Amino acid sequence: MPLLLILLFLPWLAWANPVTTEHVTARLLAERQSAAPGQPAELLLVLDIRPHWHTYWRNPGDSGEAPRVEWTLPAGVTAGPLGFPHPELIRVGPLANYGYSGRALHPVTIQVPADWPIGAPLTLRAAAQWLVCEEFCVPESAVLDLTLPTAAVPGPADPASAEPFAAARAGLPTGTIADAVLDRPSAAAGGGLRLTVPWTGARPAEVWYFSGVWGLIDHAAPQPWREDAGRLLIDLTPGAASSQTDPDGVLVTRADDGRVQSFTLSPTAPSAVPTDVAAPPLGLALALGMAFLGGLILNLMPCVFPVLAIKALGLAQQAGLGTAARVGQGLAYTAGVLVFFGLIAGLLLALRAGGAAVGWGFQLQYPPVVAGLAYLFLVLGLSLAGAVTLGGRLMGLAGGAVPGRRGHGLAEAFWTGALAALVAAPCTAPFMGAALGYAVTLPWLPALAILLTLGLGLAAPFLLVSAVPFLARRLPRPGAWMDTLKQLLAFPMFATAAWLIWVLSVQTGPTGVALVLTGLLMLSFGLWLRERTALGSDRRRLAGGAAALAALAVALWLAVLTAQSVPVAPSAAGRGTHTSGLVSEPYTPEQLAAARAQGRPVFVNMTAAWCITCLVNERVALDTAAVAAAFARGQVRYLKGDWTNRDAAITDYLAGFGRNGVPLYVFYPPGEPPRVLSQVLTPAGVIAALAPTIPPNQSQPEE
Amino acid sequence: MRASRSIFTIKTPWLAVLALAAVLGAPAVSAKPEVGQPAPAFSVTDTTGKTWDLPAVAGKTVVLEWTNHDCPYVRKHYDSGNMQALQKEATGQGVLWLSVISSAPGKQGNVSPAEADALTKTRVAAPTAVLLDPTGTMGQAYGAQTTPHLYVIDATGTLVYMGGIDDRPTSSQADIPGAKNHVRAALADLAAGKPVATAVTRPYGCSVKY
Repeated sequence: MPLLLILLFLPWLAWANPVTTEHVTARLLAERQSAAPGQPAELLLVLDIRPHWHTYWRNPGDSGEAPRVEWTLPAGVTAGPLGFPHPELIRVGPLANYGYSGRALHPVTIQVPADWPIGAPLTLRAAAQWLVCEEFCVPESAVLDLTLPTAAVPGPADPASAEPFAAARAGLPTGTIADAVLDRPSAAAGGGLRLTVPWTGARPAEVWYFSGVWGLIDHAAPQPWREDAGRLLIDLTPGAASSQTDPDGVLVTRADDGRVQSFTLSPTAPSAVPTDVAAPPLGLALALGMAFLGGLILNLMPCVFPVLAIKALGLAQQAGLGTAARVGQGLAYTAGVLVFFGLIAGLLLALRAGGAAVGWGFQLQYPPVVAGLAYLFLVLGLSLAGAVTLGGRLMGLAGGAVPGRRGHGLAEAFWTGALAALVAAPCTAPFMGAALGYAVTLPWLPALAILLTLGLGLAAPFLLVSAVPFLARRLPRPGAWMDTLKQLLAFPMFATAAWLIWVLSVQTGPTGVALVLTGLLMLSFGLWLRERTALGSDRRRLAGGAAALAALAVALWLAVLTAQSVPVAPSAAGRGTHTSGLVSEPYTPEQLAAARAQGRPVFVNMTAAWCITCLVNERVALDTAAVAAAFARGQVRYLKGDWTNRDAAITDYLAGFGRNGVPLYVFYPPGEPPRVLSQVLTPAGVIAALAPTIPPNQSQPEE
Repeated sequence: MRASRSIFTIKTPWLAVLALAAVLGAPAVSAKPEVGQPAPAFSVTDTTGKTWDLPAVAGKTVVLEWTNHDCPYVRKHYDSGNMQALQKEATGQGVLWLSVISSAPGKQGNVSPAEADALTKTRVAAPTAVLLDPTGTMGQAYGAQTTPHLYVIDATGTLVYMGGIDDRPTSSQADIPGAKNHVRAALADLAAGKPVATAVTRPYGCSVKY
């Protein structure tokens, strides 16, 4: 019982002012001898610290903790935040702290309500906690009581408090320097931060910038600085979270005469492009350049082949036109590409903003879109073959090719461009992977700029041929051969339709294929009916048109139904033994981790059925005897990720390499960082990439 | 990518690092650790004399915990059982938990292998191993600033988290309930195959006693 009583009363012993702990003597002072209702009163928390020990600033630096106070105040009385005079830099081995040694002073303003009864004393209680460190650290605390009399006007200054209050004020920032600029780390600046502060006074002898927040700068790093034309230029080393941290801090200067001043800085950070994220640090200008180049090269990629056929027709048709009309068509084609790239990009960015894990080419991950494109290409093929005659806009989709009908020239060119964009988008070509991956990490405007530049690159050759008379003169004259060419070009259209149905078979299994084939049948029948009635009476023509529309409606409904079909085996394209003897396993993050854990080399192939570049690479490079033999020699685990349908794990994996599209080929040598291969593979290139883990010229094959 | 960073590092603390490395006979620290980049290399023996390095942990998720048993911030998490619970939870999921002691000889927290094992036993701690780094080589390669200071390396050897154990930078046990444990969140993100949402936070605690 007596022990309990002592324990009960023990806290009371510490409720005093000052309180002395093991390393600190804490006091709570008032500036004046009495406070007045309706007026602020200045208080000061004073920590007298044992020699060689220190307490901390509001940003303690690499370690430590700032002092805190919890107030117990009479009703209506409020306390402001704890003030922090500028700190000193305290080096601890390779680290640095921001803090105080000797004495720490923390001013606080309290507000006394206007209706406080004059004469009634204010009883103020501050429960203060602080960390005090020398080589090691001790958390300490004290409950400080202060009773402050009240009067109609604030009392005279307390002489005992004058000196510490003056010292505290001297340590607080003299003012704020506006217009300071903190340049974010950039490759151009060698990765450093540059703080530029307008400076009108004499050149200081010493300058130090204390960051008010953790992570902005490396606290311990030297801060080389110079004065230049009314500015102080201070070079800082970025901290661990530099790009995510708002700049805020205090600049401390010491003049030649030893006078120390401090200034609040809230520098603006103009170039806040997040270059510090995991994505490769690709500048916007470089990304734009690469996007344009990528767009140009896109014209040559296998996935755009069907569109080349359409474009060939368009070019042939132009031969009979004057320069102005040609340029108009070239511009209309470019507009078509750009509008559609813009639409796809806008949808992608909107979905991304909505939190969906989507990537470039995502539109082909949605089976109804694939089915709709299959319909479109069938109809285009039928039209080119001459089986059906389509007027107006639909005809324009097929590239027109009727020299006499110039009135539709612009619309036709526009829709050809749109179609090129729609079909080209799913395949990211070499040079484009990094640009696209960079684009989707950016805010709206630059992201859109990159994607549109890509479209511009795609449209550029056509525009060039249209606009330069010399090139246009090289085009053959129109004639009867164009009809033959037109019919011939029907076949690439049918081939594309066949490919899209195959893509659908991977995505949805037999059910989806059955649906879309039925849809194609309905559509063909409707078009045939329309064709048969086209030359009849108005009534018959109307009936034929209505039947064709009904057939189209049913076909589209069937296309939408494909969305509900599920593939028989997910990642069907990821598993299997290939003709060359190459054995692949479906990619999962766990598989990759497990294979790495076994210490085996791993080859990851990210692909999709709708990515023709991927399929061509597999056909000509990966699925070859030479590569299969090299994989077998090195006991390489071959993981294949199938992105034909949406797959968040693969989208994440791609994002990890700063990519947003397939193909992506990555080789993991055991115990070494992964290597990314080119997006255009050759057997020799793959084998070279495996070296030195797997020597390329093994004399005795082990098969 | 890394070349540009190395050039920068050379620009400033290069001489100091070089001098330090020469004194300690340690390899020069080339770059600061960064999330999203390969974790810095290390080679340190544990209390049983076994050597741990990156190849030894390849394919596993690894938590590195800088510790100093006498630091009040470390005591906050061990006296409350918070750290042990997190260790058991992590190792139960197949994660390797390596506690690292970088205190120099004669400094607070420096312990012999036997003392370290005794601490593990008395505190009922559950690390996979306790690594002894009295030269501070590993601590400086990782830029470990405080005890505790936590790092998470994923199965591909990429550093995916560095910072504090949670978001309440105090030494009071009362602040543990309701705190957001960043390490638990990072491990959950990894287990779900997602990128770590909060990848860099302020580490808090005592300075590492290099």
